[in-house]
Amino acid sequence: MPSVPILMPQLGESIAEASIMLLLVKPGDTVQEDQEVFEVETNKAVMAVTVSCGGVVKSISVCEGETVPVGAVMGIIEATQEEVERTGATTMDAAAVAAATAPAVPTGPVAMDGAHFRTEGEYREGSATAPMETGGRGLPVPARIRGAHYLSPRVKARMDELSITEADLAYVIGTGANGRITIEDFENFISYVDGWPSRPASPMRRSVAGSMQRTWRRPIASAGRPIYMAPIILHRRNHPRKPGVTLYFLRALALALAEAPECAGYMVGGRILTPRNIDLGVAVQVADGVMVPVMRRVNEYTLDELVDEYNKVVKQARDRKLDPAYVGGGIATVSNFGGFGLTFASPMPLPSESLILGVGAVRKTPVWSDEVECFIPVEQAEIVASFDHRVVDGGDIGRLMQRVAWFLEHPELL
Amino acid sequence: MSVTYIDAIHQAMAELLEEDERVFLYGEDIAGSFGGAFKATKGLADRFPGRVLNAPIAEDAIMGTAIGAAIGGMKPIVEMQFADFGILALNQMCNNAAAHYFRTGMPLNITLRMPCGGTPGGGPYHSQMVEALFAHFPGVHVFTPATVADAYYMLKQAVQIPDPVVFLEHKYLYRWLKADTWVDADPLPIGRARIVRPGRHATVVTYSAMVPETLKAAEELSATSGYHIEVVDLRTVKPIDTDTILASVARTGRLLVVSEDFPWGGVAAEVVARVASEGLHLLDAPPLRLSSRDCPIPYHPDLWKAHRPHSEDIAAAVRYLITL
Amino acid sequence: MKEAGIRAYRAMEMARAFDTKLSALYKAGKMYGGVFLGRGHEAIAACEAVFLTKGVDVYNPFIREQAGRCAWGYSVLESARSYLGSAEGCMRGRDGNIHWGVPADGNPAPISHLGAMVSVVAGMLLAKRMQGIQGAVGVLNLGDGTTSVGATHEGCNMVAVEKLPVVIVVTNNQFAYSTPNEREFACASLADRGRGYGFTTHECDGTNFMQTLATMQKAVAAARAGQGPQWVVAETLRMCGHGEHDDASYIPAELKAAFADRDPLAVARRQVQEQGWLTAEDVAAVQTECVDEVQRCMAQAQKEPTPVPAETDWSAVSWKPSRY
Repeated sequence: MPSVPILMPQLGESIAEASIMLLLVKPGDTVQEDQEVFEVETNKAVMAVTVSCGGVVKSISVCEGETVPVGAVMGIIEATQEEVERTGATTMDAAAVAAATAPAVPTGPVAMDGAHFRTEGEYREGSATAPMETGGRGLPVPARIRGAHYLSPRVKARMDELSITEADLAYVIGTGANGRITIEDFENFISYVDGWPSRPASPMRRSVAGSMQRTWRRPIASAGRPIYMAPIILHRRNHPRKPGVTLYFLRALALALAEAPECAGYMVGGRILTPRNIDLGVAVQVADGVMVPVMRRVNEYTLDELVDEYNKVVKQARDRKLDPAYVGGGIATVSNFGGFGLTFASPMPLPSESLILGVGAVRKTPVWSDEVECFIPVEQAEIVASFDHRVVDGGDIGRLMQRVAWFLEHPELL
Repeated sequence: MSVTYIDAIHQAMAELLEEDERVFLYGEDIAGSFGGAFKATKGLADRFPGRVLNAPIAEDAIMGTAIGAAIGGMKPIVEMQFADFGILALNQMCNNAAAHYFRTGMPLNITLRMPCGGTPGGGPYHSQMVEALFAHFPGVHVFTPATVADAYYMLKQAVQIPDPVVFLEHKYLYRWLKADTWVDADPLPIGRARIVRPGRHATVVTYSAMVPETLKAAEELSATSGYHIEVVDLRTVKPIDTDTILASVARTGRLLVVSEDFPWGGVAAEVVARVASEGLHLLDAPPLRLSSRDCPIPYHPDLWKAHRPHSEDIAAAVRYLITL
Repeated sequence: MKEAGIRAYRAMEMARAFDTKLSALYKAGKMYGGVFLGRGHEAIAACEAVFLTKGVDVYNPFIREQAGRCAWGYSVLESARSYLGSAEGCMRGRDGNIHWGVPADGNPAPISHLGAMVSVVAGMLLAKRMQGIQGAVGVLNLGDGTTSVGATHEGCNMVAVEKLPVVIVVTNNQFAYSTPNEREFACASLADRGRGYGFTTHECDGTNFMQTLATMQKAVAAARAGQGPQWVVAETLRMCGHGEHDDASYIPAELKAAFADRDPLAVARRQVQEQGWLTAEDVAAVQTECVDEVQRCMAQAQKEPTPVPAETDWSAVSWKPSRY
C-alpha cells in the first residue's frame, strides 16, 4: 500500500522550524483527507498540520515538545492507491519510508565556516596614493602598488607558452616602475634572443636544468676537507680487480652514514625523513648531462662484493640504458669531479636528496712533518659535502667527513 | 549644415511615429507647443495628433501606464524629464517591466528615454548617470549612445527590440555634439562596441559623454607623450560587448575604464571584472577605473568639473597606467 | 441580473472550496510559499468580475480575489497550478501563488508592490483607446492598506486625468496585514479619496451579496457608458489571517463577533434562495460540484510536471544580439 508522508509545512516565509504542541492522532488511527493531525507552534503563531490524503497512520516520528524543521517527514499515512490517485498526494518509496522511520542519529553541529566568502575592508577610494597606517606589529606597510615588483599575468602567460622560467629573465633589465619587466621588455627580449644563433636544449639538458633549478630553492651549504689518498692508491694497486676510485668513496660514505643517517635526512614541512636504507647514487657524466644510478644498501656489502655491480651500473649509465632497479630512491650521491682534473667544486645534491659528496683530483701536496721537520710530498684530494642547511649544520657534516676520511685511510675495512 | 545629437533623436522619433502607428510618446511636458524640457519632441504633437501625450508629474505611473500600453500592444516611448527623476520609475521598470517576459512570456516593447549626465550648474538632481542602476536588473537593455549617428540609429533599433530598453541620452551632448549628418553608411548592430580610435599602448573603454572626453585625451597623449591609446565605445552597457573589449586588451595589455557614473558597482567595475575574469593573461598592468567621485554631484561649475572625469584626468590616468 | 447573480454565487462557492482545500494543503506542507485566502472578500470579488468579459475587458484582481478570477472565467486549475508551480501553468513555476495572470486575456500578472498595477491597468485601457477599441472597461482592486501607497496615488490620478473607463474597487477589510484602519488613513471614508481624484464614488456592504451585486453592476455600467472612472468602497472583514502563516490573533474578538453572521457566502446562499433564483437543493448541488471540481483540479495540478532548471532558458529578455 502506498505511503504518504506527513510533512512539517512552511508556516510563514521566515520560519525554519516549529515545535510540536499536540499530537491529535496515534499510529493505527484512521484519518481523512485534510484532517488536522498535529498542532504546532512557530514563533509567530499556533497552527494545525493536516494530512494530504486519507488512510491509516502507520507511524509518527515526532513527539510533543520536539522542534522539527520545515519539510521534515513527521509521520507516514498508509493510503489506498485509489485515495492517492483521487487526492494527487505525493507518495514515498521504500527507501524514504525506511529512512523516515529509522531512529534519528544525533549529528554534531555543522561547521559553516567557509560557506560564504567574507568581504572585509572598507571603501578606500584614493588609498593607492594615501599612506596606510602601520600594522599591529609595527611593520611598515607599502604605501602604494605602483612599482611593486611583480610579473604581470600577461608576462607569466607568455613565459608559460615559451617554457621560460624567471631564471631565464635574469638577463632582462625591466623598464617598468622599479625595474619591473613589462610585456614590452619581455617581447623585446624574445626578439633579441631570436637574433642569436641557438640550438634546442636536449631533453637530457632540460631535465638536468629543471632538476638543478628545483634543488637550488633550498639553502644548500658546502664544506670540505683534504684526505690522504695514498692508502687507497696502494690498496687499489694491489687489488686484482682494480675497483673504481669512486667505489671507495661510496663505501666510505655508506659506512659513515650508517653510523649517522640523520646527516642524510630530508626535510618536508615540519618533518625530517630519515633514510630507510643506505642507498647511494653515483654521478656519471654522459653526453649532454649527468645520470645518477643508485646502488642499494651499500653499507651491507664489501668493496669486493660491489665491484662488479659498480662497473655494471656505470656502464649502463654511460650507455643511458639504466636498469629501472638502479633508478631513484637514493639518500645521497657521490660525484667524482676529480676525474675531470678539478680539485675543488661545489656539487649540488639532487632535488630528492639532501647530501652530495664531491671528490677532487689527487695532487701531491707539500705537508709539514713535525717528525722530519720539513715539508714532505703527500698525495691528497679535497672532498666536499654540499648539504641542505635546514637539515644539518657544519658540525654534523664535519664529523661525518671525519669518519669518511678515517675509512678511506683504512681501505682494508672497506 | 550640421546636425546635433538631439536633432538625431528628434528625427528618429519622428520616423518611428511615421513608420509604426503603435508607437506613441509619453512623458512630462513633451506635448503642445512646448515640446519637452530639452525640445526633443518639439513639433511632434502637431504632426502626430493624439500620439504625443503629456503625463502628470508621476514617474511611477508614467512607467506603469507604459507597461499597460505595451501589454495592450502599443510601443510607448517614454521620456523622463531627467534621468535623476527616472529613479522614481525604477520600481515599475525593474520589478514590473523587466520581470514581465520571464514571468509571463510576453515581452514589453517599451523605450525609456532619459536625459542623463552632468552639465555646468546641473547640481545633484539634474546630473546623474543611472545606467548601472537600471542595468543591474535582469530583463532590460541599456543603451548609451555617444555619437550623433548612434543617437539616431540606436533609438530606432531600441523600438525595434521587443523588450524594455533604457535609452540614456547625455544632456551635455544634446547640442554640443554636432555632425554633418546622422546617416551612417554601415551602422553597427546593437550589442557591438566600436573601436573609435585604434592604438597600442593602452585600451580605454568608455561610453556616453566620456567618449568625446577620452578622444580629446587621446589627441593630447599622442601629441605630447607619443602614447597611442585605443578607445572603445561600449555603445550599449547591456548587452556588453566583452569580446571587443578583450580583443582590444589583447592588443594593448593595459586597461582603463572611464565612466561618468559614481564608482560603486558601476559599469566600469563590470568591465574590469570581466577582463580580470576572462582576460587576466592579457593584462600587463592592473586594470584601472576612472569614475566620478563617490560624492553627490556639486552645483558650482568648478566643483562639478573636479567631480567628474575630464580629458586631463583621463590623460593623467593613462600616463599612470603606462608607468605601472 | 439573475444570470449574473447565479454566476457570481457559483464563483463564490468555488473560491471558498478552493480556499478550504488550499489551507489544508498548506498545513500538509504541500505549498512552497505563502497561501493567501479570500474569506470575507468573496461577494465583492465575484460581483465586480461577473460583469466583465474575458478578452474584451481588463481585470486586475489581487491577493484575495479568487472568486473574481472564477467569475471572470478562469478555472481553479490555473490557480492551483500557480500555487503548486506546475510547469503547465501560465507562470510555469516562475512566479506563483496569487501573482499570476494572462496579460493577453486582459488579465495582467500583478507584482507584489502595492499600487503598481493601477497605472498598468490605466495603460492597458489607454492602449485600447488609442487603437480605437470602444466599450471596454477595467476593474482593479485595492485594499485599505494599498490606498496609502504613493504609486496608488499616482495611478489613480492618472486614471482620472485620462478619464479612463476604470472601476477601482477599494475593499476595506479593516486590516492591512495586522495594521488597523486608524493607523492606515485619517480621512473619514476611503470614498473621500476617490472623490478627491475626480472619480464617481459608490459604497456598499461587501458582506451583503445582493447589495454588492447591484453596486458593481451600476459602477461597471457607468464606466462602460463613458461616465468616467468609478470608485467603489466595499466594507468587509478579512475572515482569516493575512496568509495562512498568520493566525490573525490581533483582530479583536468584538470585531469578529460583529461579523459572525455576515459571512458573505452564507449571506449569498440565503439571498439567492430568497430571490427565487435557486432552491435549497440547487445550492447544495452547487456546493458539491464546487468541492468536487476543486478536488479534481488540485489533484491534477499536483500530478503535473514541475519546471526543470536544466530545461529553462534562463533568459530575462526575448531579444539577444547575434554573435559575430
